[in-house]
Amino acid sequence: MKDLSSVELAALPPILQLRAVSQSFGTIEVLHDLNLSVARGEFVAIVGPSGCGKTTILNLLGGHIAPTRGEVVRDGKARMVFQQDGLLPWMTARQNIELGVRHLPQGSARDNKVNELLALIGLRDFSEHYPHQLSGGMRQRVELARALVSEAEILLLDEPFGALDFLTRLRLRGELVRLLQEFPRTVILVTHDIEEAAHLAERILVLGERPARVNCELRLDAPHPRDVTDPIVVDAVRRILGEMGLRE
Amino acid sequence: MKNPTVAYVAGAIAVVAVLGVLRLKPWQNKSGPTPIVSNANTAQGPTVSGEPQEVKVGFLPVTCHLTCPVTDFATRTSKANHFASMRFTDFPTVVDALKAKRIEATFMIVPLAMKLREQGVPVKIVYLGHRDGSEVIVRKDSPAKDLRALRGKTFAVPSKYSNQYLVIRALMERQGVAESDIKFVEMAPPDMPGALATGSIDAYFVGEPHAAKAEMDGTGRVLYYAKDIWPHFISCALVVHEDLINSKPEVVRDLVRGIAQSGEWAETHRVQAATLVAPYYRQKEKLLKFVLTTPPDRVSYRMLTPTDEDLQKIEDAAVKSGILKNDVPIKELVDRQFIPKDIKPANIVMPAKSGGPS
Amino acid sequence: MRFVRGVDTRDFSNEWSLLKSFAVSQRSVSIWPRLLLPAVAVAVALAVWWVLSSTGVFPGTLFPSPADVWAGMSEELRTGRLFDDIVASLFRVVVGFGLGVLLGVPCGLVLGHNPLARATFLPGVNFFRSLSPLAWLGFAILWFGIGDVSSMFLIFMATFFPMVLATLAAVAGIPSIYFRVARDSDLSGIELLRRVTLPAIMPQLVTAFRVTAGIAWVVVVAAEMNGAQEGLGFAIIDARNALSPDLLVANMVVIGLVGVVLDQILARLSRIPSLRWGFER
Repeated sequence: MKDLSSVELAALPPILQLRAVSQSFGTIEVLHDLNLSVARGEFVAIVGPSGCGKTTILNLLGGHIAPTRGEVVRDGKARMVFQQDGLLPWMTARQNIELGVRHLPQGSARDNKVNELLALIGLRDFSEHYPHQLSGGMRQRVELARALVSEAEILLLDEPFGALDFLTRLRLRGELVRLLQEFPRTVILVTHDIEEAAHLAERILVLGERPARVNCELRLDAPHPRDVTDPIVVDAVRRILGEMGLRE
Repeated sequence: MKNPTVAYVAGAIAVVAVLGVLRLKPWQNKSGPTPIVSNANTAQGPTVSGEPQEVKVGFLPVTCHLTCPVTDFATRTSKANHFASMRFTDFPTVVDALKAKRIEATFMIVPLAMKLREQGVPVKIVYLGHRDGSEVIVRKDSPAKDLRALRGKTFAVPSKYSNQYLVIRALMERQGVAESDIKFVEMAPPDMPGALATGSIDAYFVGEPHAAKAEMDGTGRVLYYAKDIWPHFISCALVVHEDLINSKPEVVRDLVRGIAQSGEWAETHRVQAATLVAPYYRQKEKLLKFVLTTPPDRVSYRMLTPTDEDLQKIEDAAVKSGILKNDVPIKELVDRQFIPKDIKPANIVMPAKSGGPS
Repeated sequence: MRFVRGVDTRDFSNEWSLLKSFAVSQRSVSIWPRLLLPAVAVAVALAVWWVLSSTGVFPGTLFPSPADVWAGMSEELRTGRLFDDIVASLFRVVVGFGLGVLLGVPCGLVLGHNPLARATFLPGVNFFRSLSPLAWLGFAILWFGIGDVSSMFLIFMATFFPMVLATLAAVAGIPSIYFRVARDSDLSGIELLRRVTLPAIMPQLVTAFRVTAGIAWVVVVAAEMNGAQEGLGFAIIDARNALSPDLLVANMVVIGLVGVVLDQILARLSRIPSLRWGFER
């Protein structure tokens, strides 16, 4: 594990970049002069105290808002996965996943792709169920499937497992890793679950209080799948907690 | 998403279509005229005077308007004009329909016709509907012998624009009862007998059969017959829009003759008249028979030519009470040119027992 | 103060919740009691009515007995008048209400999406919504004559504005997350409307349909005071004129029954699978 400087990062071709981005809502400045560069295929986690502007970064990266100052560069399509309610409730699991394959022409290729995803997330028998008939974990799986089936190369995960219980969360982390091996993507994960970040990410950015700055960056080289009790994961958790001043 | 939406939209359209077909009954196009529904042609074939016309004449189910449905019945198979009676439930609607020229002839309370004329709606009184036929009713157990006994009481009239209201005011003056001594309320005539029975009003003055209803129910008695207060009392007249007079004077002539002859017939066939109009009024035959026969001079359908004197008397009272702002010249208001010289009773063949108009 | 997508919903969100509480469904009771209990209630009410009228507490002239009403109703049934009246009223209500929905929902969508249009027209909508359809009676006759068209106009006036407001409130309340999902999936224009906006407000629209159809049916009595010659509302006025309280009550009973059936039919809309989500949380 070693810290990477921004100079070294710049050597890789970035798929996402924030250049000196500031963002204000009214008189409140949420981000101040923030720089961020994400390489193609990287899994980056952003952690930090709540209200520090993590979600704002995702919204900027996804193009849902324009920065007050600075520049956002994105080389490819992005898709958000939300904490909850990201599925359209009037569509079945299948129809929701089909939203992700709208770039494909209607036909058997499209149907096959959707069926493949349904099988991968183990919800084949639930394909005609509506979201309110699925459990929270099932819903998040459908959301992941919808994002992964699309042509988007970038996945923006906004607390994707935040509304789930611990065991489901653990199981879904494993599932995400497995799915990413099938469908490689660049991933930005915003979370306040430090363990989740350490469990999944290759690089972790720890943000400070508002207006957010990057307090520190960690790089975790351990290959996937990792165990949550892997010393590298545990050590990363310890370091992040220390960085945030949360260790006894 | 797609299929159910299409199905529901199709369902909704089908419902509207089915209701529309049931409502408009396209298969009934060729049936003869019914008393209410008005098909332009009565399918009687061409006649000497060209196509038979249907003219709608408005009326309310009160005996003051009795000659209207009788004329409808008498002309229902006419090869010339069929005067289809059109039942209304209140005068404001009649006025609106007349203003909008949805009807061009109607029965109407006389002061209201004056008011319309005052407001510049070109209507003319061409004939009267009746004489008498209104009573002041008090509760059966009321000791009242005249209006003096009704001081401080509540008195219902059908409208401020009714002649009943004007007449009762004239009588109050004669008996020395001040205007403020009696509390007047306007009330729909059908509600009056019930209101009297439950005590929310103490007396009312209205056209038949709403007066007789209280008598028959045993809840009220007659304090005054209209003729006792104002001989040859007039409540309602036949009012025609000037446009009809100008465009089709022969139709108006035919209408007035029809009404006059119906009146003459009703005068001498009172029981039959009750049977005839009951379905048009949708009222109980028994009640109408009572009105027309107990006593027979309760209401009269003769002497229906409005005199200047009759109308001036009503107008003076109307101006005095404040419902008219200024005198409308009676000459402008009345048109007697259509009244026939001699009036024969209408030739009416009573329908078979179960019949009625259909 | 509640803001949804930057829209101040204070002026109609309250009203919306009120509307909704009107149309609460009765899911919690199982099938047999749900059929039996009302039947028992009706039977008891009929019995009380029958006892009261046969003991003469109410004189027949003030309130008719069940037997009178039944006789009146069978007579109306036999002559076919009752059927014609029901058809006439239903036709007017269905067309008037249908036009109210067909025009009200698009107007509500525009007002819900466009703050400028909302600022311009919302006060006007609230103004006209406050006017009783009875107030339009005179103009209805002057503009549309006597009969079906003016009755439909009155029913339209009674349903259009509530429909606009309900749609507007529903649109303003759509969670912004749905629009973000739609954007990620490149949905826009007509497709956005068809696949996101409309389905998102559909459950609230179904509730609004029930409420406004109820209003339309209530208004039918007033809407047929325009010289109409057929219809249940006209029959009510006519029965008064005819001094027949038995027919009056008979027609009241029919109006109530048809109203219940109408509501039940519209309530079925909430069983559409793609709408269930709106009624189950």
